[in-house]
Amino acid sequence: MLRNYLKTAFRSLLKNKFTTAINLFGLSVGMTAAVFIFIWVQNEHSFDNYHPSNQYIYRITNTINLGTNNDTWKWETSPYNLGEFALKEIPGIKNLTRCGNVNSSHNIIYKNRIIPEKNCAYVDSNWFSVFKYDFVYGDPSAFNNNNYAVAITESKAKKYFGTANPIGNILKIDTLNYTVEAVVKDNPLNSSFQFDIMMQMGSHITQPRVAKNIHSWGNFNFPTYVLLQDNANVQKVTGMLNAIMNREREKNSANTTLQPLSTMHFETDLQSTSLPHGNRKTTYIFSVLGILLLLTACINYVNLTTAKASLRSKEVGIKKIIGAGRKHLFMQFIVESFLISIVSLLLSLLFIQLLLPVFNSITEKQFVLTLFSFTMWKILLSTLIVATILNGIYPAIMLSSFKPIEVFRGKTILKLNDAFVRKSLVVFQFSLSVILIIGSIVIFKQLKHIQNSNPGYNLSQVVSMEIPYNAYRKLNDEQQEHFFAAIRHELLNSGAVEGLTMGGDQIINVGNFSSGNVDWDGHDTAFQATVSPYSADADFQKVFQLQMKEGRWFHEGKEDEHNYILNESALRMFNMHTPVIGQRFTMGGDTGKVVGIVKDFHYQSMHEKIGALVMKYNNGYDSYIFLKAAAGKIPAALQAAATTWKKFIPSEPFEYTFMDESFDRLYKEDRKISSLVFIFSIIAVVIAALGLFGLAAFTTEIRTKEIGIRKVLGAGVQSIVFLLSKDFIKLALLAFVIASPIAWYFANKWLEDFAYRIDISWWIFAITVVLAMIITIVTVSSHAIKAAISSPVNNLRSE
Amino acid sequence: MIQLEKISKWYNTNGARNFVLKDIHLDIEEGAFLSIMGPSGSGKSTLLNIIGMLDTSDEGNYRFFGESVFDLKEKKRTELYKKNIGYIFQAYHLIDELTVYENIETPLLYQDVKGSERKAMVADMLDRFNMVGKKDLFPSQLSGGQQQLVGIARALIAKPKLLLADEPTGNLNSKQGEEIMELFKKINTEDKITIIQVTHSEKNAAYGDRIIDLLDGRIQQNIQ
Ligand SMILES: Nc1ncnc2c1ncn2[C@@H]1O[C@H](COP(=O)(O)OP(=O)(O)OP(=O)(O)O)[C@@H](O)[C@H]1O
Ligand SMILES: [Mg+2]
Repeated sequence: MLRNYLKTAFRSLLKNKFTTAINLFGLSVGMTAAVFIFIWVQNEHSFDNYHPSNQYIYRITNTINLGTNNDTWKWETSPYNLGEFALKEIPGIKNLTRCGNVNSSHNIIYKNRIIPEKNCAYVDSNWFSVFKYDFVYGDPSAFNNNNYAVAITESKAKKYFGTANPIGNILKIDTLNYTVEAVVKDNPLNSSFQFDIMMQMGSHITQPRVAKNIHSWGNFNFPTYVLLQDNANVQKVTGMLNAIMNREREKNSANTTLQPLSTMHFETDLQSTSLPHGNRKTTYIFSVLGILLLLTACINYVNLTTAKASLRSKEVGIKKIIGAGRKHLFMQFIVESFLISIVSLLLSLLFIQLLLPVFNSITEKQFVLTLFSFTMWKILLSTLIVATILNGIYPAIMLSSFKPIEVFRGKTILKLNDAFVRKSLVVFQFSLSVILIIGSIVIFKQLKHIQNSNPGYNLSQVVSMEIPYNAYRKLNDEQQEHFFAAIRHELLNSGAVEGLTMGGDQIINVGNFSSGNVDWDGHDTAFQATVSPYSADADFQKVFQLQMKEGRWFHEGKEDEHNYILNESALRMFNMHTPVIGQRFTMGGDTGKVVGIVKDFHYQSMHEKIGALVMKYNNGYDSYIFLKAAAGKIPAALQAAATTWKKFIPSEPFEYTFMDESFDRLYKEDRKISSLVFIFSIIAVVIAALGLFGLAAFTTEIRTKEIGIRKVLGAGVQSIVFLLSKDFIKLALLAFVIASPIAWYFANKWLEDFAYRIDISWWIFAITVVLAMIITIVTVSSHAIKAAISSPVNNLRSE
Repeated sequence: MIQLEKISKWYNTNGARNFVLKDIHLDIEEGAFLSIMGPSGSGKSTLLNIIGMLDTSDEGNYRFFGESVFDLKEKKRTELYKKNIGYIFQAYHLIDELTVYENIETPLLYQDVKGSERKAMVADMLDRFNMVGKKDLFPSQLSGGQQQLVGIARALIAKPKLLLADEPTGNLNSKQGEEIMELFKKINTEDKITIIQVTHSEKNAAYGDRIIDLLDGRIQQNIQ
């Protein structure tokens, strides 16, 4: 029976090549998008769930009460000692492990080259007995027993040692020699711990600088994971953890809790984190989008199949008369939809393979298309089943329900109902397209707005370098001053540098906040102002071309050692006595006066509102050096920077960034969303247009006779094109009316995330409606024109 | 075998009942060969469709082997129909996407006949109608007469007790028509299959052992 279904289905698909091609293409495009989305969503939702004892693993969370305005800081880190004590004292804890300096950069010195590695961490010796790792070479016990052991991933092993077994080899990391004791399989994509190089914690805590403070209960530096006994009571363990903290910490302001490992990836309220996190809401939004795209592709199939129903009704009628039950006919259409779905799925596998690099660059993951993974099969099969059902059910019910004798009497079996359903589905498709088009335009406009609005500084030709703390931490104050002065001198004398300045942070993304730390005359002490402190030197204003509102910039030398410059927002917030210039100002106990007011500039991304910035004079050295290259001399300036670096900081690799690139990087996520929405809207529009194309072809076909008669009666090409297009144009307009408010709502929601944003202006809607009309008319009229210009005799003869 | 009792069917046009069939009484015994005649629009096809359970009447009773057809559930009726009735059309109504072999085989598929048995039955039928050489052709590759032969083979394959034919020779020339009628006669006498045919031709009607004449939905003549 099944063979018969397949055979008939196959032949009927072959017979309607045009429709089949439209269906296959549309469906496979929709499926490709959906499968990509589901792969990503599935990965996000499966984070850290592959550890066998996953349900008993928790991370210790410390929520610090800041005392003011009920503000809290939630940390993923704990004091080192909490781990020591907890494992010893709390019976419910079976095992406990910590990591440190998570995802920090270290330099691997290998064959006389300095190679920076980004994903390094220190892990406790028992890290591998709590978390699941597959060992390629070596074993956990060797790692346990050696303070200077390092475990590396397979790809890093390949990078440094080729394919040979690297166990026992020495890897110099920064200044210390480590022995490779283990090689583990590369981290699964759904792991929070993307460490490539894992050094034994023992090597870290015994370094003098670290050892000095390691037992301090005030330093929260170590993410700590506990593995509970199967029967342990989480509340009880939490209580005991708090008891330890209260006992050991003077005036303990931390509340300690346990975060289940499997929920860690979607944590949103951490004050800061060094692990990759996801957003649950985003995964839901994308899931919905994936389903909608799949749905819109299935709609084409449903519409074209039911539209063609009148052509197939004879076949169905005969089958009923020779004994087919509803069940048989229903199955027949489901099999047909299954066949088209599975061929589309195969096609989409091809598309997926081709587009995988693009997908990986968007997600910044290394997904591979493997048919040997259970998860992959789950996604592919559920896509197939959903598509088969969405495609098949309605046509199957509709086509198997009509009465055979009505068909033979030539009665139309298409009830008004079906046309209505079909129209609604087209409207749905177009609405989705309209929403996505409007979304694309709004997002594009907003990003353009960010690019075009004046941030208040000029970054062109400016290169920034962060001087590593290691390079000067052993020098005393005077030596430090000399060190920086020498670097400065060398760079300025290269001839390629037009200006040079030093600052305490990247000017485009100042991450520092301080609360209740400032004071001035007339200050109401109940008001705890939150400000961003920033240190800069005398040339800072010139290099970045900051605008002054009042007063002056810092002068070189001792004159401004204790003085301050405020931005306009700070001025507004503080409400100081006038004239402001010359007023006393204190920050962190350092008292001086205000010498200038700088115009507001965006020292954070435009998602954030400009806050109070307090600039302080730096004394000749700071962690960032900013070089402004002379016109046309960027390569020479970079060359000079590299040479200088090598001379003064030989132990670290030379790293630099172009400021305008860093600025762009602030909006990387936004641009990603922008390109995704754009891609989705293209997909939605292409699928909808395809469906319309097929429907238009069909309507034109069944109205051939009518067109012929009209032409004989004297109708012109224009009026016939209009006649055939007007129904579709009406549908597109209706879709626009329905979709606009929805699009407006979502676009607004997205814009709310920006402190500086565009208004959604009417012309965005105007453009969209014109675009929708053009797409509709172009799609529909090609058939209409063909029908309209063909000879009426032909039209009538074909009847 | 078949008892029709006071069967009436009408359509409402402008509020008035427009009778297509009016008070039809008919008793057909097993093994009969009945021809239905009458002018166009007199209700022949309607009557045949009611007998064939494809249509219902607005009034009256219909018993098939003692079962009251109109009172049966849809599923039960389909079952009764599938087991007992074969249908032949003027326009052949073969399935264009299927070959001769597959067209003949299809009713067996719907009756869940096993594969080996199916093969034997279809082979037998092809043999009997001399169409073994044409079994892999599609309907569009056959002449009208050949197509109707396939239609008959398809109607007979499931061994029905009743064969219904609505102007089976209407699209054929007289020689082809004669052959079909000879075939009907043979089926009727040798296989003991009851046949009801609708025809416009006196000559064809004469092949039956009983003729009824319809006029405006009423039985005008009933010639035994
Ligand atoms: N849906 C309908 N609505 C109204 N009248 C109908 C409908 N279907 C059939 N009729 C009428 O029923 C009558 C009988 O039709 P039927 O098909 O049974 O005639 P027939 O005797 O088979 O004619 P022919 O020899 O031309 O095939 C016709 O007059 C026809 O107009
Ligand atoms: Mg008729």
